[in-house]
Amino acid sequence: MPGGALPEEFGERRSIKIVLANRDRPRENAISECEAAVDPIIWNDWHVVGDATELRSYRPLTTILLGIRLRISRDLDGAITVTREDHGPLLSDVRHGLVWACLGRPTQPIVAIPELDEADRCVVTAGAVGVHASAGRVVENFLDLGHLGHVHAGYLGEEAESAVAPYVVAPLPGGGIHASGCKVFQPVASPSAKSGFTVDYRYKVERPFTACLYKSAVSQPARFDVIYLFAQPVGEVETIVHALEIFVEDGVRPAELRAFQQFIFLQDKPILENQNPKRLPLGPRMEMPVLADKSSVAYRRWLVDLGVTWGTTSAQDEVVAG
Amino acid sequence: MREGWYPIAACDDLPAAHIYQTQLCDEPLAVWRAADGHVNVWQDRCPHRGVRFSIGTVHANELRCRYHAWRFGSGSGACTFVPAHPDRKPADAIRATAYPSVERAGLVWTRLAGDQAAPPVLLPSTVPMRAMPVNRAEDAVVAAISAAEMPGVHLFVQPVSAGRTVIRGLAEDAALLGEHDDALERLRRTLESA
Repeated sequence: MPGGALPEEFGERRSIKIVLANRDRPRENAISECEAAVDPIIWNDWHVVGDATELRSYRPLTTILLGIRLRISRDLDGAITVTREDHGPLLSDVRHGLVWACLGRPTQPIVAIPELDEADRCVVTAGAVGVHASAGRVVENFLDLGHLGHVHAGYLGEEAESAVAPYVVAPLPGGGIHASGCKVFQPVASPSAKSGFTVDYRYKVERPFTACLYKSAVSQPARFDVIYLFAQPVGEVETIVHALEIFVEDGVRPAELRAFQQFIFLQDKPILENQNPKRLPLGPRMEMPVLADKSSVAYRRWLVDLGVTWGTTSAQDEVVAG
Repeated sequence: MREGWYPIAACDDLPAAHIYQTQLCDEPLAVWRAADGHVNVWQDRCPHRGVRFSIGTVHANELRCRYHAWRFGSGSGACTFVPAHPDRKPADAIRATAYPSVERAGLVWTRLAGDQAAPPVLLPSTVPMRAMPVNRAEDAVVAAISAAEMPGVHLFVQPVSAGRTVIRGLAEDAALLGEHDDALERLRRTLESA
């Protein structure tokens, strides 16, 4: 079994472990009920399941991914192990300061984050927040420009400036969507902002439940602060939201960055938990977008094209629901 | 969808600017009184991104959604303003699903389907009783009400979901409201312990 002897990254030992439960039973005959319910795109994707910096050797973590209970532990040498409580097979990895798991056979590597290689970055994991909402609804909220002046009024937007100017949405070469040319006036764009300014926004969605935001850095507006959002699908309508912040170093304390991100996300949480249906509607009839929702429309279409069904409702469900 | 008029709130549940949340036959409802007095009974979800209207706010004759501050007009439920595009008139198709409403005898009545013009005619000199939620199906509650001896009251049911019903009633003598409450509470306990 490989593991343990791989290069160090971000001060943590990176290990890849393949845990095979029962070698006598081939995997094909052991498809769990959970796997049968999950579409292959989500089942075979890598998902963040924990924050490696929070793990202590004396206190293993338990969590749930796609309905399957996981146990994450760290030994005294720092090696991190993820296992399924049902002893089924699982791939795990530690990358970007986060613990990753894949229940199936990955078709793509864990997302690359080149900004983490820049020396003058303040890198913070901003906690894990449980939300009673589907991962798709969480990602869509992260991409949403129209709510900034209302849900985050006084911070990431202002009522009087809540008009959404046209922006560009294009497919990413490797799959996914890219939104650019977004401009938002923000009274308090980040904890180090001393006054309001018009912030350039770009978004990238490379995986169904991973999104990232680039926004003009306060101290160097030509560079971008980067915020990654990883939505861990616990169940179809239960999600744990992990955030990773990669800010241009400007003297702000990591604790302030973390607190600010949590404060902002806690403004979104009650909205997300009051959306009905909790699953993301992928059919065209159930919810009515406007031009400002270009990213959301592209995101939903991309999920349809990929064949993602987990945590969503289809056009057919909508017809049945009337 | 079920036809017929049902009481779903008391008129007193709707003070100015409040949005009352309830449910009828599995349909979540947001009920609010506009500044002009009209009572709106709306499906409790914004047609834009599904957020419950009941966490929104009322501004005179409009309800504003909590998520993107879209405004919807009392009566028709039509969207009147989308702040993301302040210079565009919202499309006609963007509207709240509004059900008919009638205030009668201190209760708010609605119907989800059908074409009956109005709820049953009620005695004019009655006062609304406290609503009594019961964790039992409508059939069982109706049977228990029919069998109960409660003179001087007129009882109605609001089927909420498969296993939950609200009893709403009118009392002929306001001085006996306390006794009627106690009787309904006993009825609830008997039903739920059965």
